[in-house]
Amino acid sequence: MSAGLRFVVVEALLSIENLTKEYKGVVALNNVSFEVSDGITGILGENGAGKSTAIKIVLGLLEPTSGSAKILGETASENINVRSRLGYMPEHDCLPSNVTAAEFLTHMAELSGLPPSHARSRAADTLRHAGLFEERYRSMGGYSTGMKQRVKLAQALVHDPAMILLDEPTAGLDPAGREEMLDLVRKTHREFGISILFSSHLMADVERTCDRIVVLRGGRLVQSGEVKSFTEETEAVYIEVDTNRQGFIDALQRRRVEVTVDGGGIYVEGSDESVYDHVRDALVEAEAPLRRMGPRRRALTELFERDGEDFSGLPEGVDQ
Amino acid sequence: MITPQNSAAASGSSSGAVGTVFDIGYQNYEGPREGRWRARYAVYKDGLKVSLGLGRGSRAKILPWLFIGSLVLIGAGLALAAITIDRLAGDGAAETIGLPSHSDYYGTASIIMFIFAAISAPELLCPDRRDGVINLYLVRPLTGSDYIIARWLSFITIMLVVAWLPQVILMTGLTLGASEPADYLKENWADIPKFLGAGAAIAAYSGTIAMLVAGFTTRRAYASVFMVGLFTVSTPFTFGLAQELGGTAGKWLSMFNLSNIPMHVNDAIFGSVSGVTQDAPAAEFDTWILVSWFFLWTLGPAAVLWLRYRKLAP
Repeated sequence: MSAGLRFVVVEALLSIENLTKEYKGVVALNNVSFEVSDGITGILGENGAGKSTAIKIVLGLLEPTSGSAKILGETASENINVRSRLGYMPEHDCLPSNVTAAEFLTHMAELSGLPPSHARSRAADTLRHAGLFEERYRSMGGYSTGMKQRVKLAQALVHDPAMILLDEPTAGLDPAGREEMLDLVRKTHREFGISILFSSHLMADVERTCDRIVVLRGGRLVQSGEVKSFTEETEAVYIEVDTNRQGFIDALQRRRVEVTVDGGGIYVEGSDESVYDHVRDALVEAEAPLRRMGPRRRALTELFERDGEDFSGLPEGVDQ
Repeated sequence: MITPQNSAAASGSSSGAVGTVFDIGYQNYEGPREGRWRARYAVYKDGLKVSLGLGRGSRAKILPWLFIGSLVLIGAGLALAAITIDRLAGDGAAETIGLPSHSDYYGTASIIMFIFAAISAPELLCPDRRDGVINLYLVRPLTGSDYIIARWLSFITIMLVVAWLPQVILMTGLTLGASEPADYLKENWADIPKFLGAGAAIAAYSGTIAMLVAGFTTRRAYASVFMVGLFTVSTPFTFGLAQELGGTAGKWLSMFNLSNIPMHVNDAIFGSVSGVTQDAPAAEFDTWILVSWFFLWTLGPAAVLWLRYRKLAP
């Protein structure tokens, strides 16, 4: 390569085009298209939004009514061997109670095509990374919910897939367990280099874990794009005053500033310098002592909550 | 691969040698990936282990090994009895007094084999669906057909061992117990393919029906009780009614005695009527009808089982 030029073709790991799935007149997915590349991508939606249907079609377990879903360049229903490079963590229980985690993971690795000796070694390694090495010879019937979720994630990783699909990985976990699981998901991508498709109805989980999100509602694609771009677009100034709060709000509104009241705080939309000038003038006019003021990036969660979980209320524009 | 949590230095022996263990972290897998055949074989191998309770707690081992032990004891007991009688009363005495031999063994042991099938087959299919493990199988390079065929093969393998092992013990015992073992083997070698064939028939039949029953429930107990009930009820019901009806109708009704279906094949293979079928009106049918009936009752349930799992999705 004399000129030292290298061409890198970045191909989408998952490509969904005009995907539609109907069940006896009920449309579960309606002409959905999106692509997923390297990183952690969240599919966000309420129950019945079509998340699980999309995942099942991607895995080749369901045939679409129309459209296509290609993962790692293949249609899984036509070439099931592609599944040996995929991992899947289902939402519901899927662990036998009378088997040890070590034996179970070894079996799962063999099911993905690994020879027995390699499968045993990978099972031990994966359990170590999932934080279950010490417990690997215990029957899984005695595991806590958090430990079972870890085993479910470990079985999806044991064969070193190129991509894993996680269906509600934090379901049923307490806050501490949920945090640990999200950490493990992030670590899985950061340290193992495995791309992740993460389905959830919990916006906070998606926001904290994912690089990109795909929002589904009623089988339709509402939005997709970088998580960062959603929160950047909603930058706001957060203000708290000690007294005359209403007078301060009135003064802001007279200056045609968009104000949102949330508990004891006030959000003022916009991040340019003029917003701060308006806030200063309104404070003087209302003689309201300022307690706290600063720019604040609104969480995705707040966006959804503000719109009564109306996903169509998300800002327009990123890749739709 | 040794990957401790942190890098650590460990001082060695008295010679002062120092070994250092590094945490090499997560390693991507670079080894072979053997695809769908490895997955199928893994399901088959797991089926063998589950059927015998291997890799499970001691409770899981009790029933399969109890039944296998009972069948082996029957084979060994028959061999021992025949040897003792021949030794005491002279060669051929055991045969003269009608002590059960290869052709009669399955008639004696079939009920134990049916119960074994009824108890073991649900272990292979019910927990996978009840616990949701089937969801993990079907997202790997494996179809529903691959899964059920591998499971069926593993169970039939176990059933074959259960059927053949006591017969092998019986043959070995009779051969070694004969005053001239080589002559005994020369005169009776034809029994070997016969008991292998008859054993394969009863294993395939009882194993397939038990798997079919297990394929329709997630509760092991329901499947076992249903299977045992099916075989227990069909015998007196069909026998009594067939006697009442008589004629061709009685003979056809007698064909629905589920316990006798593989025994008619056993009779056809050995060329003699065994104790359990000698009073059955169906035994008067031509052999081809009895054998076709057996295939219908084996391949039919196998096809239904396959159709049920073929399109199974999580």
